[in-house]
Amino acid sequence: MISHRLLSVLSALLLATGAVQGVRGGWIHAKARLAQVLLHRSWERTQAGGVEEKPWPWADTWPVARLILPGGREHIVLAGATGRNLAFAPGHLDGSSEPGGDGTCVIAGHRDTHFAHLDSLAKGQAVVLEDAAGRRRIYRVVATVIVDERGTWVITDNDRPTLVLITCWPLDSPLPGGTQRYVVWAEAEDR
Amino acid sequence: MAKKMFQVVIAAVLLAMPTGLFAQEELVPQTTIGLGDVGQGSLLFKTDTPGRYVAAPVQSTEVEIAVRGMVVEATVRQRFSNPGDEWLEGVYVFPLPQKAAVHAMRLEIGERVIEGQIKEREEARKVYEHAKEEGRKASLVEQERANVFTTSVANIGPGEEVAVRISYQQVLEYDSGRFELRFPMVVGPRYIPGSPIPTEATTGTGWAFDTDQVEDASRVTPPVFHPDRGAVNPVRLEVSLDAGMPLERLHCPSHAAQIKKTAHGVHRILLNGVPADRDFVLEWTPARGSEPRAAVFTEELDGSFYVLAMLMPPDDRFTESVRLPREVIFVVDTSGSMGGTSIIQARDALMLALDQLAPEDYFNIIEFDSNFTKLYRTSVPAMPAAISDAKQWVAGLRADGGTEMMGPLLAALEDIKEHTPLRQVVFITDGCVANEDALFQAIHQELGRSRLFTIGIGSAPNSHFMERAASFGRGDFTHIGDPSEVSLRMGDFFAKLENPVLADIELQWPDPDAETWPEQVPDLYAGQPVVVTARLGTLHGELVATGVRASESWEARTVLSIGASRAGVNRLWARRKIASIMDQRAHGVPEDEVRPQVVEVALAHNLVSKYTSLVAVDITPTRPVDEEVRAGAVPTHLPAGWKYEKVFGSLPKGGTASRLYLLMALVAVALGVFVRQLRSLL
Repeated sequence: MISHRLLSVLSALLLATGAVQGVRGGWIHAKARLAQVLLHRSWERTQAGGVEEKPWPWADTWPVARLILPGGREHIVLAGATGRNLAFAPGHLDGSSEPGGDGTCVIAGHRDTHFAHLDSLAKGQAVVLEDAAGRRRIYRVVATVIVDERGTWVITDNDRPTLVLITCWPLDSPLPGGTQRYVVWAEAEDR
Repeated sequence: MAKKMFQVVIAAVLLAMPTGLFAQEELVPQTTIGLGDVGQGSLLFKTDTPGRYVAAPVQSTEVEIAVRGMVVEATVRQRFSNPGDEWLEGVYVFPLPQKAAVHAMRLEIGERVIEGQIKEREEARKVYEHAKEEGRKASLVEQERANVFTTSVANIGPGEEVAVRISYQQVLEYDSGRFELRFPMVVGPRYIPGSPIPTEATTGTGWAFDTDQVEDASRVTPPVFHPDRGAVNPVRLEVSLDAGMPLERLHCPSHAAQIKKTAHGVHRILLNGVPADRDFVLEWTPARGSEPRAAVFTEELDGSFYVLAMLMPPDDRFTESVRLPREVIFVVDTSGSMGGTSIIQARDALMLALDQLAPEDYFNIIEFDSNFTKLYRTSVPAMPAAISDAKQWVAGLRADGGTEMMGPLLAALEDIKEHTPLRQVVFITDGCVANEDALFQAIHQELGRSRLFTIGIGSAPNSHFMERAASFGRGDFTHIGDPSEVSLRMGDFFAKLENPVLADIELQWPDPDAETWPEQVPDLYAGQPVVVTARLGTLHGELVATGVRASESWEARTVLSIGASRAGVNRLWARRKIASIMDQRAHGVPEDEVRPQVVEVALAHNLVSKYTSLVAVDITPTRPVDEEVRAGAVPTHLPAGWKYEKVFGSLPKGGTASRLYLLMALVAVALGVFVRQLRSLL
């Protein structure tokens, strides 16, 4: 009888834990998706108005680019690759070249949300980056590499405009905080 | 309207999440103190075949440094091995001391040794690329900045090991009665103006976690602490120190090095297999009474005599001198790179400095990261109330944001009211900036009567920037590597600020046509020796140095012929000449004019410079032409004009625990259902 009751409690506890963890995990994904909805609106306003439109009134960041990956997946990119921003959208690394600039533009994203399929990018595929003025530039993937987090040479300037996409590696690892990064290089097409 | 409301509600929900959830994400690009090695740590290169990887060249470094008197001779042996089964190219970016005269490179392939040739940079690069295409082994050493170099090695075969041996010479630093030998092992991450990379500490927990790690990293002995990184470019370093005088103290503040004394007063200092995560520093103090007053090293080459001379002005710290009132502007770096122990050191140093001010002085403090803030609108008298107010403000300084140095620099140099006879600007920073040349030019142009002093903070500051900035600012550079050193180093620093400067230094050589570098000896502060190099026709006679200190004239002299003969003094002379020519850029001389002058000197003395490189090529091709060099594709992304500016501490993180949560949810639910089933069975 006691064991029956104990099992009831245990089962309830486990189900509750499952629910909590499910919400926690689902929340990260929901946040990533919901934010993109808001960001798309603020992006349209940014492009229409030519000013940095904040996606929500108290945000300390703003959309700086639209990233279009093969297969039509697209993401609005926020200014600053900070932890808070990456929860909502891929982030543009401060100090790297501006989207549409001549240097190396670095965009980081989460491997389990926005950049979950980064490894499907193959050499030669096109990645499009649209800046706030609506100018689009086509980049071709030239290489992918796995580096240690300290391998910062991957984001140095190249002699051509370059787009570098970064996410955590391994892509399917359930644990956060690894020391390896998956990096995609794409060079601007000749115009 | 409804639409807008909807957005606001969603946004509110998004941002009102408990911080506990954010805490799990840990995605902030970390700040890096002493970590952040460039060009190393690349583990795998993906191939065209999905799922297939090529191991990158593994690299290890052996350093041998021989110190004899004031001259340092060092060889750095970089070994590249190829663990994979495809042909590889290795590219390794590494630092050397900023005044190093790199004069030789040898490519070692098993028993064979190929001596590198000095060539103009583009030509050397062409020779290297050509050899690479033909399948021959080749190596190339290029200078990217005064203290940053790149080694490239082509065609490392499967399972092969190739070594590149680089030799350089250097003059020791001697200041305030203390010799310092510094070997940088890590290129500190630097910031482009307007780049708050490792900052945005707003997510809180992720940031603090990383900082803790870095703090530990600088305290704990490296081999124990980095289990996952221990194998990445380990360094073995051996110093043979023949100081030429009895020593009072010899210690290595940066590492737990083994120090042994051998016969004849030679010390051996050994460091085995440490990760390259901070500068190696060795310091020694001559025994009281045996401090050097003068030292001369000479070399005869092609009918000319090259001389390196050190003269110590008499120390008159004990003589009575009137303390002149001064206006001191402190500029403190509170950017993200200063996080961790650095900001604490900076605050401590600033507190001590404030205590040194006298009521007749004026002062102000400027703190900067992406923006700058002045404590007072203009300088105020250093009255006790103002000092305690300032201390409170200093205690509240936190490190985050970018390193935008130009604004605060110009603000600090702006000499509005001539309150006092002396005006001193004190910069407290790790110097992790990239726009060095622009800053040097600004210092040169805007200096006026101000004098600029730099206090370098942290385990791997950008010494090149700090030293040159102080030199253009006609002040001095002090380095504080460790929190325990703050009061000691600041003591030396105050002695420099307080004691009258030794100015108008003139040199007389026995040969009137002597070519001296630096051309003009800079003003000297307390504890600093005159160090010059010259090329002249004779050694018969004396070197006489004269100067003025606090309106009293001063003179020191030494006989040249007693100097110790030492090979390579010509290189030290040429290296200084190159540095002086390169400095002309800050004085507005265009690069087109600077370049040929540098090339001429560098080629004549076999030195690597910004415009000359060493290249070595094996005679016989080893790689079959039909096989590809695998990593060939990657180094093209290491640009010819390596932008050191773009180097950040580490790449941003991009992963959350969402999958872990979902996995846990799945397991918990499955278990819950299972237990339920179990219960209904009972």
